[in-house]
Amino acid sequence: MADTDEAAIHMPSNDSAHIDTDLSDETQDFRMLNHLTFLTDGSQGNLPKRGEKDFEPNPTLFQADILSASRQAMHNALAYPRLHHPRNQVIGIYAPDGPAPPSVAQAPKQMDTVPEDNDTQPQQPEDTTATAGDADAGPPKAAGTEMGVPAESCVYVTNPKGQYFKTIGRADRWNRVWLLPEEALYLLERGSLDIRWPISSTGCSGESETADSGIPMSLQAAYACFLGHGGLNMERFSVYTGLRRLGYTLVRAPGWYDDADEGDCSAEDAQTQSRQGPGLAGVFGRFMQWLSDSPSCPVAGPLVGLGIHRSYDDIYRKLSIIPWHDPTAPRSESRPTSPPFRVVFHVYKPSTPFRKSAPPPADFRIAVVNARETAVPTLAQMSALLESTPLDPPKGVKMDRVLSLRLRQGYRSVILAVVDQGVVSYLRVADSAFGKEKLYKLQGPKPNQKRGPPRPRAKGR
Amino acid sequence: MNAEPNLPIPISYTAGSYFIFSIDAVTYLRREHHICGVLSGTLPQIPQQNVFLGLPLELMAEEARLLVEKGVACIVDEVNVQTDGMKALMEADRQRYLQELQAQGTQVMQMQASRKEQQREEALKKIEEKKAAQAAKKKASQPPPPPETPATDSTTKDDEAVVGLFAGDRKQQQQQGPDQSSSRRPSTAIASHAMGITPATSHSLLPLEPSAQHKLPLPAVPSSYPLFAHLHSEGYFLSPGLRFGCQYLAYPGDPLRFHSHFLVVSTGWHEELDLMEIIAGGRLGTGVKKGFLIGGADETTSDLESREADDVRTFSIEWAGM
Amino acid sequence: MTTKTPTKPPQPSALTNLIAASPSTSAPSDPLAASTLQILHNLQHQHLWTSLQTHEIELPVPKKDTPSSSASPPASSPATTTTTTTTTTTQYLISGIPPHHVYIHPDEQLYMLQRGLRETDIELERLFVLPAVQGQSWSLARLAAVFDSLPGGEGRPAASAAAGTDIEGSEGDKAAKLAEYYEYREKASLTKEWGGKRILLAMVDRMMGGDGTVVYYIVQEGAVKPRQN
Repeated sequence: MADTDEAAIHMPSNDSAHIDTDLSDETQDFRMLNHLTFLTDGSQGNLPKRGEKDFEPNPTLFQADILSASRQAMHNALAYPRLHHPRNQVIGIYAPDGPAPPSVAQAPKQMDTVPEDNDTQPQQPEDTTATAGDADAGPPKAAGTEMGVPAESCVYVTNPKGQYFKTIGRADRWNRVWLLPEEALYLLERGSLDIRWPISSTGCSGESETADSGIPMSLQAAYACFLGHGGLNMERFSVYTGLRRLGYTLVRAPGWYDDADEGDCSAEDAQTQSRQGPGLAGVFGRFMQWLSDSPSCPVAGPLVGLGIHRSYDDIYRKLSIIPWHDPTAPRSESRPTSPPFRVVFHVYKPSTPFRKSAPPPADFRIAVVNARETAVPTLAQMSALLESTPLDPPKGVKMDRVLSLRLRQGYRSVILAVVDQGVVSYLRVADSAFGKEKLYKLQGPKPNQKRGPPRPRAKGR
Repeated sequence: MNAEPNLPIPISYTAGSYFIFSIDAVTYLRREHHICGVLSGTLPQIPQQNVFLGLPLELMAEEARLLVEKGVACIVDEVNVQTDGMKALMEADRQRYLQELQAQGTQVMQMQASRKEQQREEALKKIEEKKAAQAAKKKASQPPPPPETPATDSTTKDDEAVVGLFAGDRKQQQQQGPDQSSSRRPSTAIASHAMGITPATSHSLLPLEPSAQHKLPLPAVPSSYPLFAHLHSEGYFLSPGLRFGCQYLAYPGDPLRFHSHFLVVSTGWHEELDLMEIIAGGRLGTGVKKGFLIGGADETTSDLESREADDVRTFSIEWAGM
Repeated sequence: MTTKTPTKPPQPSALTNLIAASPSTSAPSDPLAASTLQILHNLQHQHLWTSLQTHEIELPVPKKDTPSSSASPPASSPATTTTTTTTTTTQYLISGIPPHHVYIHPDEQLYMLQRGLRETDIELERLFVLPAVQGQSWSLARLAAVFDSLPGGEGRPAASAAAGTDIEGSEGDKAAKLAEYYEYREKASLTKEWGGKRILLAMVDRMMGGDGTVVYYIVQEGAVKPRQN
């Protein structure tokens, strides 16, 4: 027990079992943060090790001191300000009424503190070209704007510098980058964007021509302005920031909008299918399949009846009378997905080259579920959700060789992000095709080879 | 850190969630009322990780409700507070606020500059020491003095100074005011040399007291609230239980320092209880060195009025090991 | 102790004997009674419990269920539905003495450790077992009623302390420590410092595909901190 005496507590409890656990699993001891010197730049990346915790409180002074030190460290870490050095300050203007062209006769303005005329033009050529390209090529995601930016955008940035704008925001033809609520809130929260209230939202007389009131928006105000705007709720935002912080790129999927049909997904799907069995060969193959599958009328007689059976395969094939689900079979009609079981984010790994103007096929698709409001999905909901994702059969040398990997990979997959009051759990659900894996066609297991138990259909992560 | 915020603490209600943005309120609620919430924001100093998170603090509806019932907090319609507050903002307020921010920004800038200077000096000193040590090493094989320690010391000190500037009692800050701080360092306080600041709260811009029209009624809570309140009253710290597949995790002390004791699931008094759930919960709890606790409000007394607020029965389940 | 295993093959199995000898179970068709016997058998022969007894308690049927399931209580136990206001169902309990301590509260363990007492020094106690079948309908109210029907809560018997000291009479020091322990235990049972009432939940898997495995879980009233081993 921990509370026998003070000396016992000084001994670090031996819980090597915990080393493998995810650090973000439980509340961390913020004292560990003291070892980081925040203001020295470039020291990011190496996180402190997990702190030791005790089993239960005891009346010792030692424990009380540690607790108070932990709380002090947490207080200090949380009190750390969001600062913007004038050299790389990025300013966004809040546009509560959505995207609008700049007010008449507005030249690039000198903001209160930032000399940014020289910033807008020459800096970071790849950014400006990329964003300029977006303005022409990017199809408007939702109706309502002829500016080429999503209608839910609510902040624009006139001096988009920094790496974030490679994956965030959409430019209009006035070289302003418009941000969606989650993008604006994320950038403000991480201290990378200084958002200003527009003069129109304040009671101040608009004697100046700028839209910018110069009043920096607080974190508190930003949450009030952006959460609940354009379909953004805290669950979706938790998923967005959680993955952004780890370096993933997230964009809204069509399923974000409750009323949207998921046209583009099925189009994607059709593409992959036509890739599979094209032309005559495909037809011939299907014909051959039909021939070999043609029923031997099990009602009339024994399953494996008359005829010459040259191999066990023939017999096994005749024995397999139970229908099974083939994820690759073309669907007659797609079932509509029902919120919240629909893909709301397309996610790209940090290593995936991403262009805003032409996003590649997503690495992951995520549906966001509120743990408090939603029960376990029905099979119909789950199937519809999986069918809304493109066919992604297991491929690769390793997959070809290992049965369990194929089953785990599945033919379609989706990630469920279950959110309980800020705590997020991710589950991967895959459509495995057990029926496609003809065990009898595999070579018999070598006598000494250990075979693992079959994998469950949906593999949680 | 031991600041007492003005009561009741406003809890921001936005898009169905409850938030606290004031660091003083966060530490106060944790220390005095065992309410921890979940930190859900990005820490600006280390933004690319999920281990340590920052403001805002997201509260469960149960936590918000408990605080309101205790008279410690009130629920505020944050969206309207912001929009109405900004509409009511006068030019004079705007100027005062901007000056205040600018003074702070200038101060931070100067602190950073002086720290850089200090670092530079220390680096130079270190090089000299190194040279001296090498020279000494040549003469006699003496180990060089341990380096670095002074440098790290000073940086943490500076960090604390910057943090202190923002964490400190707000009243003090206001007393200090923009005029004083700027007059203290009049020579370098030029506009372009101030750090831009995104404040965590709107406290110094909008009125501190939320007006009656922005106050919201008691938060709606799930049926597990009686159990939540019961365990909280017994001194447990409670947090959302999703990670262990339960409703709450119950900690015997501050989760900063203690492991949780229980995986908690609430059930209705007459609600059908599948024994498999008990077995599964008990097995899971034992696997992670925790107990599995089920409980709910005792509804034997059918009269709602006479029923005690704390009429909750709980049962702890552990694998028997046989 | 009935550790002897049936040596002669033609002898009927203990379970058969049990079912035949059991006074109240004229209806082995009652799944609860049958599983109670199965668990009793498991306790006796697999876990080597002794002095086993079965008990019957009456549990109130949930109020909201009363109108719909008014037909079911007579089917299970026709003789006992005498009360007019609330209907009840019969629940079996088993009690017995395990060969070793099944549960010791962590603080109790610490207390013993500090005084150099071992588990084997402490007298074994009768423990109640709640037999249950998978799929059986339970509720918090029902569980609470089971606990309310248990004896205890007014202090664990001090009489056993005397018996304990007699056995350990050779070591005077240990006897004193034991006496101290029993005294403190009595106090602790009032303050619930070492946990409140406890019961062993035994569940047998008799559903489709069930193999008759019996699993045992300790259920205690109140929030009792978990053991750390």
